[in-house]
Amino acid sequence: MPAIECRSLTRYYGDVRGIEDVSFAVEDGEVFGFLGPNGAGKTTAIRTLLGFLSPTSGGATLLGHDAADPVASRRARERIGFLPGDPGLDRDRTAGAFLDHQAALRGESSRDRLVDRFGLDESRRIGDLSRGNRQKVALVAAFMHDPDLLLLDEPTSGLDPLLQEEFAALVRDRVDDGASVLLSSHVLGEVAALCDRVGVLREGHLVAVESVSDLRSRGGKQVRVRVAEDVARADFERRDVMNLRVGETVSFTWTGEYDALIDLLSGYSVLDLDVVDAPLEAAFMTFYDGDVPGPAGGGNGGRSAETRGGDAPATPAPADATADSGGGDR
Amino acid sequence: MSDRPAPWLAIARYDAAGRARGSLATTGLLSAFLLLFLAFFPSLSTAGVDLDAYVEAFPPAFQEAFGIIAISSIEGFLAVEFYQFAWLLLVGLYLAYLAGGTIAGDVASGRMDLTLSAPVARRDVVVGRFLGLVPLVALLNLVLPVVAYVGVLAVGETIAVERLIAVHALAVPYHLACVALGVAVSTLVSRPGIAQRIALGALFGLFMFESVAASTDFAGLGDVSPTAHYDPSAVLVLGEYDATGAATLLAATAVLVALAVVRFRRADLSG
Repeated sequence: MPAIECRSLTRYYGDVRGIEDVSFAVEDGEVFGFLGPNGAGKTTAIRTLLGFLSPTSGGATLLGHDAADPVASRRARERIGFLPGDPGLDRDRTAGAFLDHQAALRGESSRDRLVDRFGLDESRRIGDLSRGNRQKVALVAAFMHDPDLLLLDEPTSGLDPLLQEEFAALVRDRVDDGASVLLSSHVLGEVAALCDRVGVLREGHLVAVESVSDLRSRGGKQVRVRVAEDVARADFERRDVMNLRVGETVSFTWTGEYDALIDLLSGYSVLDLDVVDAPLEAAFMTFYDGDVPGPAGGGNGGRSAETRGGDAPATPAPADATADSGGGDR
Repeated sequence: MSDRPAPWLAIARYDAAGRARGSLATTGLLSAFLLLFLAFFPSLSTAGVDLDAYVEAFPPAFQEAFGIIAISSIEGFLAVEFYQFAWLLLVGLYLAYLAGGTIAGDVASGRMDLTLSAPVARRDVVVGRFLGLVPLVALLNLVLPVVAYVGVLAVGETIAVERLIAVHALAVPYHLACVALGVAVSTLVSRPGIAQRIALGALFGLFMFESVAASTDFAGLGDVSPTAHYDPSAVLVLGEYDATGAATLLAATAVLVALAVVRFRRADLSG
């Protein structure tokens, strides 16, 4: 039985698309990542799974229980840990009082261990805590009842690198104990480091589901070449070239065979050539450009929406980030 | 799971604990307000002015609105100057306002997401948030009769203890109805600030309507207002205890909370 099974899940806010026809499964013991730019529908998907929003159509099961049925989903929620993108914590209560309350609702088998692990001072008012420490409070609340399924929306936002490591270790510990995880992020590195598989959400559609190892292997090569001749952009605009940038050096991601690359370059006097494994970001972009239908670039397009500010608008999404640096091939 | 309290109880306790300081402050302020008015009474009663004749000259709607029966006795004075105004209107509006922010506030702040990600039914949330305001109602109606009694003695007057207790005992159903009204509005309106103002405005509108309707041929229509079922002047001045009114208010409370549950069960949490 998969931990999460999502069947054509669709949620509209009036005329505005939140998610549409999203189908996937998170297998038992798997870590599944939702990856996508701001407004792609990650938060909507998670909130619909948890029953906060009723699906417009389609359905889902959590730990075998119907997510849309209040009684069944309540049974599932006994064993679920949830970290919202923007946890609504009571600023004027102490961390201890808040966790006491959460414990009364869910249980607290691992609370003391987690509070120690994160070095949390429970006597402090939540409003007086730093953003990172507030996130720790929310993390303890999400993990303290040893849940079998974790739904984590932008879990590491606000955490410093050291804490991000600690968080990753915490997730791995839970997974080792048999838990399944669905986490969302717009940071590819974070997803790649933790997840077995990645689902790419774009404008409310789940456009691809890939295993992280596949994603790595199909990433292609990052090519930087300087040639003696003037380069016409059109000469390099071909199917196996992505993220093309033509300037003093020509740089692009090559997804074809080496021989074809050598053929392409044989028409020039090569002054300098640098071929390396493309970083995962580029692999991800390759994937986007090649397989994704719909308008290229700008996953923030006006027709999709997320309900809550889990995605800080100031942080560029990977698609946009690469589009900016990868420049003019659009 | 057996060592955990029922979710509605856990929610009510947490909510009430969060309101503890505010509840004490409100009780203290209202006590001071009551004592301030009582301090005026001796000078008023010895001023030699026929106050009862004075208030009798007020238009009927005004007399109805402020429950003016007699003002020269300590009972009449307390009823008009404190209970009709502070207990019926001020506390009622304040409770409706507080309750208006409960559900809508939780949804808007994202707090509801955390609560409902736990094995908690939506009904538990509504009932818990309603009950979370009950300690404030209880505190007000337990402390103020004592303050009033001591204050009356302090200004050299006496008052029937039984009537003083009754005016607070009968205030409880009325205050609960105000809370229930606020909670119900809070499940209907998604923005907490708006919900609070609508709850407050609705209660005030009903009070105005009842006051005006009372002096027309449509006095019966005024019964839709919670304020029609709690009459501190009748209790204090005439010793008339309206048990039917109290029962009506308790029934209305139950209906409003039930409506809130039904409404919230089907609601999307999109603040």
